[in-house]
Amino acid sequence: MIFIKNRKQTIILLAFVFPAILFYSVFVLAPSMGGVWYSLTDWNGLNPAYDMVGFSNYIEAFTDDPYFLDSIWFTLKYVIFMVVLANFFAVVLAVFIESQNRSKVWFRTIFFMPNMISLIIGGFMWMFIFTKVLPYIAEHTIFHFLDQSWIGDPRVSFSTLLSLSLWSGVGYLMVIYIAALQGVPQQLKEAAAIDGANALQTFRNVTLPMIYPALTIGLFVTLNGSFKVFDAVFALTGGGPGRATQVIALNIYEEAFSMSSRYGYASAKAMILFLIVFMVTLIQLWIMKSKEVEA
Amino acid sequence: MSSQGATTGLTLIGRRTGSALIYLFLLGGTVVMLFPIYMGLLNSVKTQSEMLTNILSFPADFQFSNYASAFEKIHFFRSLMNTIQIAVVGLFGIIVCASLAGYKLSRTKGKLSTFLFGLFILSMLIPFHSIMITLVKIAGDLHIQGSIYGLGIIYIGLGVSMAIFLYHGFVKSIPRDLDEAAVIDGCGEFKLFYTVIFPLLLPVTATIAILNLLWMWNDFLLPLLILTDSDRYTLLLSTNMLFGEYSNDWSNILAALVLAMLPVIIFYLFLQKYILRGIAEGAVKG
Repeated sequence: MIFIKNRKQTIILLAFVFPAILFYSVFVLAPSMGGVWYSLTDWNGLNPAYDMVGFSNYIEAFTDDPYFLDSIWFTLKYVIFMVVLANFFAVVLAVFIESQNRSKVWFRTIFFMPNMISLIIGGFMWMFIFTKVLPYIAEHTIFHFLDQSWIGDPRVSFSTLLSLSLWSGVGYLMVIYIAALQGVPQQLKEAAAIDGANALQTFRNVTLPMIYPALTIGLFVTLNGSFKVFDAVFALTGGGPGRATQVIALNIYEEAFSMSSRYGYASAKAMILFLIVFMVTLIQLWIMKSKEVEA
Repeated sequence: MSSQGATTGLTLIGRRTGSALIYLFLLGGTVVMLFPIYMGLLNSVKTQSEMLTNILSFPADFQFSNYASAFEKIHFFRSLMNTIQIAVVGLFGIIVCASLAGYKLSRTKGKLSTFLFGLFILSMLIPFHSIMITLVKIAGDLHIQGSIYGLGIIYIGLGVSMAIFLYHGFVKSIPRDLDEAAVIDGCGEFKLFYTVIFPLLLPVTATIAILNLLWMWNDFLLPLLILTDSDRYTLLLSTNMLFGEYSNDWSNILAALVLAMLPVIIFYLFLQKYILRGIAEGAVKG
């Protein structure tokens, strides 16, 4: 009797989950498995026949592809800067905006707005600012230092890229931090003020510990998002000049779809990206777990 | 007493200058945030020559011809309709599939249920760029490459995990007694779901709808890979193509950029409250 009931339950469960599993298997699971398989082949997209080549794609990516290694380092640098700067600005903005009275809603609306706009459109708009408006300002005002080759000079274009990403991304994190700040009980801050703590001390010793969970979420979001950066680079520099601002995702895209059609080799790079993101996430979860035990 | 009064007075002055500085900082930030949008708007109504000589000033007279030509060149209505159709197919599929699965996975205990839920969650770790090459091949094999509805269907597969996760969490807050009462009334499982349970999921459904709509609307790479024919381009793809073709005709490009971001900005200004809540909830639970 119990067995029959369980079987019925299992069938009902499967019936409910079936549509989701179907789409998920075809468009997520199958491509993942396929990616692992093709990364071990010399499949080139044009030719239907391919051979197994073992790990030679992986070996080539790490030993014989300086552009790919450069793109990994460039992405890492981008990730570090984004994680620090985006979260710093977002916390500052959230705290400042929450301290306002009537203008609170207005500021929040403005600072989040860029996040609604696609990075492709935002990227083109900033391209206009960097290639037309800033040189114009440099020429006609005292701000001569604005006359830079913002897109064309690889030393400058990193900061150009960061500005675009921060412009777009800070609002998202700010919303998370504002939600966390609103959860901090007012009495706690008042109690600290009565005890003679100034604004900075209250923030460091009362507010910051209270929004700690939100900070972990913010770090998680920026870390994962920054490793996958694509649109901003595609729109603003296209990876250039040369390949100076190429990120991992763009390197994979070009390898597969615009340079060589070496799908098998590009799949190996795609697996390397997956492993990087996977390891970073595991490390992060592990750190979060150990912090939770401490608290 | 008096010294204490003086100290309070001083802190008060300190607080006031402090909050004035904060206000100034926020105003400065506002300028930076709006600057590209403002410059884009301003120069989208200038002639090319006026733009080059007076990029910062207010336009001498408004050139709406830029908009007329941008409207034509990005095939605004066609691109907009394409984008809407893709988003509607994706959204409908995600909500139907994920609410069914999320509800039942949350209600059923056991190894199979845990395994399936874990399988969905695991995929949230997979970067899109890691599966895109094989995904394009599969789309080709299924003959949905180049199709708008095909793209919508792919979005169902990609978006369903996160939605299941959010539904799964929300269903826990709905008392089980409801299911049981309905079952005693002789309700079938599916009827119970769409008459009793689904209406109760409305708050989380709204969050899921907003998050997925924004994602699909602003997604660039997947449409770029799937939609091969420019008749089926989304707003972003058409704008990108215009940029590639006329990369120096800025007054036209800026008009196109303004047109392309108009739907999202209107959507944002009207539904701001729900969007911000959705973002905060989605991030915290995701």
